[in-house]
Amino acid sequence: MIDRETACRCIFAAFLMVASSAARAAPQKISQFALPNGMQVVVIPDHRAPVVTQMVWFRVGAMDDPQGLSGLAHFFEHMMFRGTKSVPGDQFARTLARNGGEDNAFTTQDYTAFYEQIARDRLKLAMDLEADRMAELDLSEPNVNTERDVVLEERRMRIDNSPQALAGEQVDAALFLSHPYGRPVIGWPGEVRRIGRAEAQDFYNHHYAPNNAILVIAGDVTVDQVRTDANATFGRVAARPLVPRVECAQPARLGETRLAVTDPNAKVAYFSRDYRVKSYAEAAPGQAEALDVLAGLLGGDSNSALYRRLVVEKKLATEVGASFDGDSRDDGKFSIYAIPAPGVSLEAVERASDEVIAKFVNSPPGAADLARVKTQLVASAIYQRDSQYALASAYGQALAIGLTVADVQSWPQRINAVTAQDVRGNAVSSLVRREAVTLFLTPGQK
Amino acid sequence: MRRLTLLFVAGLLGLGVAPALGAQPKTLDIGANQSVWFEEDHTVPMVAVSVSLPAGSAYDPPAKAGLAALAAYLFNEGAGNLNSTAYQDELARRAIQLNLSPDRDYFTLSFVTLSTNLKDAFRLIGLALQRPRFDGDAIARVRAQMLQSLQQEGEDPEAMASRRFYELFFAGHPYGHEVGGTAQGLGAITAADLKGFAKTHWVRGGVKIAVSGDTDSVTLTSLLKSAFGPLPATTPPAPPRVQRSSAPSLTTVAMAVPQSTAQFGLPGILRNDRDYLAGYVANYIVGGGDFSSRLTNEVREKRGLTYGISTSFGTFRGGGYIIGQVATKRESMSESLAVVRDVLRSYAQDGPTADELADAKTYLTGSYPLAFSSNSGIAAQLNSFQRDGLPIEYVARRNSLINALTLDDVRRAARRLFNPARLTIVVAGAPPVAKKSGKPSKTATPR
Repeated sequence: MIDRETACRCIFAAFLMVASSAARAAPQKISQFALPNGMQVVVIPDHRAPVVTQMVWFRVGAMDDPQGLSGLAHFFEHMMFRGTKSVPGDQFARTLARNGGEDNAFTTQDYTAFYEQIARDRLKLAMDLEADRMAELDLSEPNVNTERDVVLEERRMRIDNSPQALAGEQVDAALFLSHPYGRPVIGWPGEVRRIGRAEAQDFYNHHYAPNNAILVIAGDVTVDQVRTDANATFGRVAARPLVPRVECAQPARLGETRLAVTDPNAKVAYFSRDYRVKSYAEAAPGQAEALDVLAGLLGGDSNSALYRRLVVEKKLATEVGASFDGDSRDDGKFSIYAIPAPGVSLEAVERASDEVIAKFVNSPPGAADLARVKTQLVASAIYQRDSQYALASAYGQALAIGLTVADVQSWPQRINAVTAQDVRGNAVSSLVRREAVTLFLTPGQK
Repeated sequence: MRRLTLLFVAGLLGLGVAPALGAQPKTLDIGANQSVWFEEDHTVPMVAVSVSLPAGSAYDPPAKAGLAALAAYLFNEGAGNLNSTAYQDELARRAIQLNLSPDRDYFTLSFVTLSTNLKDAFRLIGLALQRPRFDGDAIARVRAQMLQSLQQEGEDPEAMASRRFYELFFAGHPYGHEVGGTAQGLGAITAADLKGFAKTHWVRGGVKIAVSGDTDSVTLTSLLKSAFGPLPATTPPAPPRVQRSSAPSLTTVAMAVPQSTAQFGLPGILRNDRDYLAGYVANYIVGGGDFSSRLTNEVREKRGLTYGISTSFGTFRGGGYIIGQVATKRESMSESLAVVRDVLRSYAQDGPTADELADAKTYLTGSYPLAFSSNSGIAAQLNSFQRDGLPIEYVARRNSLINALTLDDVRRAARRLFNPARLTIVVAGAPPVAKKSGKPSKTATPR
């Protein structure tokens, strides 16, 4: 399925799958404090290997792109690697590499995050480098022009070359009405071309400040050491006045949007339905958790209802899935998709999908199915503890969208508390057609 | 901010100390010709397992391309008295996450499980290995999925370029067809073929197993013996050596996409070649390092021609390869390939500078511990060393071998391996503007 939210400087998209799943970690000894300049710090000890993961999350993303300049936040993420007065040119990446570090970054609608993974005795170096580019980035004109070309190539690779990704952009544009979530993170090409040095400098001045950032350190560290080093590095960057985030209306949709796309480059047909739903940041207690469970029941894996019905029993589709993306400040998205088997129409696949959805709306799920999905979700929080990157991502993402450390820690218990009636109730209230965009993508001439 | 940063960096470099590696895996004995490496760690209540069987697509019969992959994807589609649905339910309700990855030499199956379910996990894995069902219904379903994804690859210039590249680069060798097979090959495969393949290739002879996490040697040994012990002890022969004969070439796969992709490759060397590590380091410098390679610097950072350009240095059991790729808008492909040729030409001639080699060594040795920071990472890394036929001592020795390489070693490898006159290039998309291979339309500025 198309990942609506992520675009990055990296070429290793698989890595990001971890970050885009819901905040899910089991309770651990997490420490949290703030620096005098307002930067928030979270420390997650993991002493298994002598390495650390540092992440710096800025509460700014594509939704903060000015009108007419979509793609600016993502473009700016790229510019953060183009040098500062003290660490010019490509010395940021080269210095880290020379010290055995890996680094990258990613941008979503709500936040922009930068990370480094490195031996524990070089954490201070990584902090120094991040603090430096938070304070004095060098935005010279030739750099801006070359990097804009790189971003346009990134867009061609991720979006323009892919019929499903292109159609997905239009689904979001329809789904979110006038809300900025309807604009692609990577930006519309005509607007990306308009980004210049002045726009980049403005964006930096207004958003890249310690009082708009969250530092997450996971790894072989002590809290005292992180506190000392963070004060000596990030602590020396002055707080700056921030431009307040724009609050956008999310008016109720009055009717379903149906989108029929014919694309000569598409080789298989594709059906999707995206429902605009409440996210973890907005939902009443238990609501988003029930949607996570519902997504697992409907289309999480080959044991799910859609797969069993459409792929195994009726042989109408070769591939199906359902997912809930509830990790956002504003509305989330509940999605289902299917690729019809050869000779099967998109209408037939939609009809069968709706029959499966209707079962969840009309009656609560069976006890065995519910237990299976909850076990899988709760176990995912334990598996997440295996990866510093996944842990740091869970906490960083939660804080960036307005949740808390406690929210991340209590997630497994809240999933366990979801009842069959909760699942049904939320299917009834969330899988509402007027809040949905249905896509039929068909191969063929336009 | 202050300007301490660079001084601080220089100070660290002066030390030149490679960081310590956390992991200290040991071997377990479950019988002759079976390799088991185990890293014990009880921090997280889970276990990660990676198993590589000599059951890759190199063993596909010529008329049945895709047999190894179809068998692999049917691994969790029914075993013993459990049909597909029942088998998958057994895994899912215990949150055992299974990943099936057929490749050219090996079929790697990996899983993570909560340590409380370890016994059930090995029981289910053992059952699928020993008594796979290959039910007609499951075969039809998985075959249809594979055919559909072959069809969908037609949208993707990277996949199309790669498919054609392998056909040309490994012409006449079983490495030449895609792991996922061909429509014709998949269509010809029968249940008897699958059963026969499992009998001869899902065997314990030559199996490589790596485990990391919350268990102990005694428990693990006993679980492994019951899962793998009943399998045939036979060992399939290694795939044949690659005898590369195809001439350097530039081939186009026509596609009407906004951005073209080129796959370009050069003959590599075997894992036991004396220049292997020197070649690995040489590749890191020219195209392997994400954001610090010569190719990234010239094609992306300086000219903005692409989002990503990289080369990978690898080996199959029967032969090595260097394969690179670059994607760019159709009108820039000629220029991009010209830059690639120029970069390789000067690199083959002069090799890396002393500074580049020093930087490569500190990166490759310094980042090594990152691969050992999770159970899943450890199991995958150990299993990869096992597939390469390395002894377990290599885990600890690897960094000192890299540090021992001299500038002469790496220059010799660069000269031997990166000659652009030998390039096989496949472009999927619009044809590059320059028609003749080897004659770039525009000369790039040397560094």
